[in-house]
Amino acid sequence: MMQKLSENILDKFSMDFLRSQVLKNAYGNNDTVIAARDPRVLLAWYLFFGLVPWFVQDMTFLLGCFVLVMITTLLARVAGLVLLLFGVGVFSQTGYLLLVTWLFGGDASAIMPLLILTLKVATISLASVTVFSGLDPDRLANGLMWYGCPERLSFSISYAYRILPMLMEEFQNVLLSYRLRGNPPAHDTFAGKVRYLAYQVKIIMYAFYPLMLNTAKRSRTTVEALEIRGYRYAATNKEVRRIKLAGLRLTWDDGIFAALSLLWVAATLLLGTLV
Amino acid sequence: MGIIEIRDLCYTYPGAAQPTLNHVNLTVEQGDFLAIVGNNGCGKSTLCKVLNGLIPHFITGQFSGEVTVSGQNTLESDVGTLARKVGYVYQDFENQIVRPTVLDDASYACLNYGMTDYLDQGRRALAQCGLQGREEEYVWQLSGGQTHLLALAGAVALGPDILILDEPIAQLDPGHADRIYGVLRELNETYGKTILVIEHHTEYIADFCKHVLLLKDGQVSWMLPARQALARVEELQSCNIFPPQVTQAAHALRERGLLPAGTELPTTVEEGKAAFAPLARKTALPHPAAMPRDHGPEAAALQGVTVSYRSVKGEPRVVFDKLDLSLYKGEKIALIGSNGAGKSTLMKLLVGLLRPKEGTVALNGTPLRDTKPEQLSRLISLVYQNPEEMFIKDSIEGDIAYAMQVRGVENWPEKTQALLERFRLTELAQRDGRLLSGGQMRRASLAIGVALNPGILLLDEPTANLDIATRREILRTLNEMKEITETVLIATHDMQLVCEWAQRIIVLCGGKVVADGTRDEIFGNTELAARVGIRPPEIFAMGRALDEKALCYTVPEFLSQFEGADA
Repeated sequence: MMQKLSENILDKFSMDFLRSQVLKNAYGNNDTVIAARDPRVLLAWYLFFGLVPWFVQDMTFLLGCFVLVMITTLLARVAGLVLLLFGVGVFSQTGYLLLVTWLFGGDASAIMPLLILTLKVATISLASVTVFSGLDPDRLANGLMWYGCPERLSFSISYAYRILPMLMEEFQNVLLSYRLRGNPPAHDTFAGKVRYLAYQVKIIMYAFYPLMLNTAKRSRTTVEALEIRGYRYAATNKEVRRIKLAGLRLTWDDGIFAALSLLWVAATLLLGTLV
Repeated sequence: MGIIEIRDLCYTYPGAAQPTLNHVNLTVEQGDFLAIVGNNGCGKSTLCKVLNGLIPHFITGQFSGEVTVSGQNTLESDVGTLARKVGYVYQDFENQIVRPTVLDDASYACLNYGMTDYLDQGRRALAQCGLQGREEEYVWQLSGGQTHLLALAGAVALGPDILILDEPIAQLDPGHADRIYGVLRELNETYGKTILVIEHHTEYIADFCKHVLLLKDGQVSWMLPARQALARVEELQSCNIFPPQVTQAAHALRERGLLPAGTELPTTVEEGKAAFAPLARKTALPHPAAMPRDHGPEAAALQGVTVSYRSVKGEPRVVFDKLDLSLYKGEKIALIGSNGAGKSTLMKLLVGLLRPKEGTVALNGTPLRDTKPEQLSRLISLVYQNPEEMFIKDSIEGDIAYAMQVRGVENWPEKTQALLERFRLTELAQRDGRLLSGGQMRRASLAIGVALNPGILLLDEPTANLDIATRREILRTLNEMKEITETVLIATHDMQLVCEWAQRIIVLCGGKVVADGTRDEIFGNTELAARVGIRPPEIFAMGRALDEKALCYTVPEFLSQFEGADA
């Protein structure tokens, strides 16, 4: 039973799965409420929820923010893998401290600060998850460009998403070469399992070498094609920037989104002073 | 004055000892459809990069002479200006696509050059290339042929007068290849574009191109109307270019005096009908041996296999639904079908990379589920379509040795040497596989594939992206390998390979086995061929056009059937 389960998990957690999750995360949810927002509004929104919680100690306010970003994360229909990473991340940052303190009989004076810290980290992470995986990369790039980020950065973001699936497929094939031709240590005993794990890690590291060379070979064409297609030309041309940003438009819904968030924050602040 | 004028062009790559282009003179008229042919490394791609200004503006080197494109001297111009006059589609076109959605990519260049109506330009280009209705799709949802059309649309969007394509159909099945050339003809005839293609498939040159340019050692040998050019059989063959099979057959018959000495050689099946009309087919022919029906024990079996891929949105895509298939020991099998029919998926299933959602895959009677992939490697081996992904060491010697070395196979150094010898790689043993030529890379990947002496060898498109001469070489290697490998399965679009090599042919279509048999059973069935979009070699069509009962797959077979006398 246990073996079946572990096999099943490994099965699910294949390169193929990662690839589909990355794509899903980037482009699979472009019809959600969050994805439809103007990227400039979302970035400003993120600036608030990504920064302010650090400087506030008020429990009610933090809880309020946490609930709000949780709702937006749900609205953005973020891919499961990202949420899992979020969970692991928060736990490994501060969550384990909270758990340990509580288990070993720490009292409220010890638990409260840790709880607040965990809440802060969770709120900020969820706000990032909402913005960076709820928006499709191109809209995000355009939003960043509007705020004055260099064209190169915004191009890199959208190009990374274009090339990532290709890289992962290639990596998968290189790994398969190792798997088919390699000879891993037997892993029936515990020591064998450790050796097997070490072997796997080693193979993953080795696999980067062919991956890099293959990518370098591919990019020769990409570099020339970018040159022909006017990439360098656009990077220095103000007019192109204007055309690109012309696609950004504020709608009433953006206003409602901002107003609702504001209202929510105000309400939690009010509640905080009442309690 | 022509749309392209080249006067005394010499070009040497940085660091190269010999010039790649050596005193080239060339005039191309507006509205031409020109095929550029020549040996590997004769400077075809270099010549094309000179036309769009990448040379000398982006790739430096020694450049002399004068190149004028649409009245513009390339030396006095820049890449941006020239890009609007000359569109370029690379051989590895998928690396040319940089944006995630179809419309985005098609309009990308227009946006970069600051055209305010860039989206309309993109839409118009997509319509011209037959991709209308796919504007919002993501690029990874497209098939190989559609991706190529998108790369073409990206070039067309800027409204260039000249389009250059480097081996446009090397990776495509005949259906998609026809579509590409159909689009090119439309662009040429309706929109008046001048089109240059680097092309090895002389059948397509005969059908679509107006002129042929032969390059030899960086020099222009000649430029002639397509029909005259293809009739120069001996000269072309000396440059490793193989004229259409119909032309080869006619040439051989003329040599033997069976066709009058002065006849113009036919280049297409239509022309062949008239030229070969006086010939009669020998009636009493020894019937070719049919496939032995008593086959060996089962080597691999799929039972009720269902596979689907996750998709980014919506329902998973089902590739196979309850597929049953058995492969027997000692068989030489070709797996054919159009792009996306499930050929690669079937191979991934057999090596255990993919697990079926339902059903079982078994090798030698043992279900794959109970075998670890590492233990599989002695039973089965897969040679990828893309040989680069098989090179995991920094020399091909290391790559061939790897699997034997880590398993501590006895005498592995000697066995490695023997394999290098067998695949004619001894000289290249220390080179990195990625830096070899296409044919050498392919041979190296075959050597890696057979290193552990697997019972079953799977080859995914072993002749894709190779010119005809290299394809012949690989075919020869495959024939030599018959004695050292027991069961071989090749997935391919290359029907000449299928006809000359395979004993059993499996046709996949829409995830189902629609036909399974000998070449006579598969290609003799006209209705089947039309339905699944497979096309027998041209000489086969020629034979049948002359005599419905003639089944000849190679030029020598055709000759022996229609020659009358000695075979």
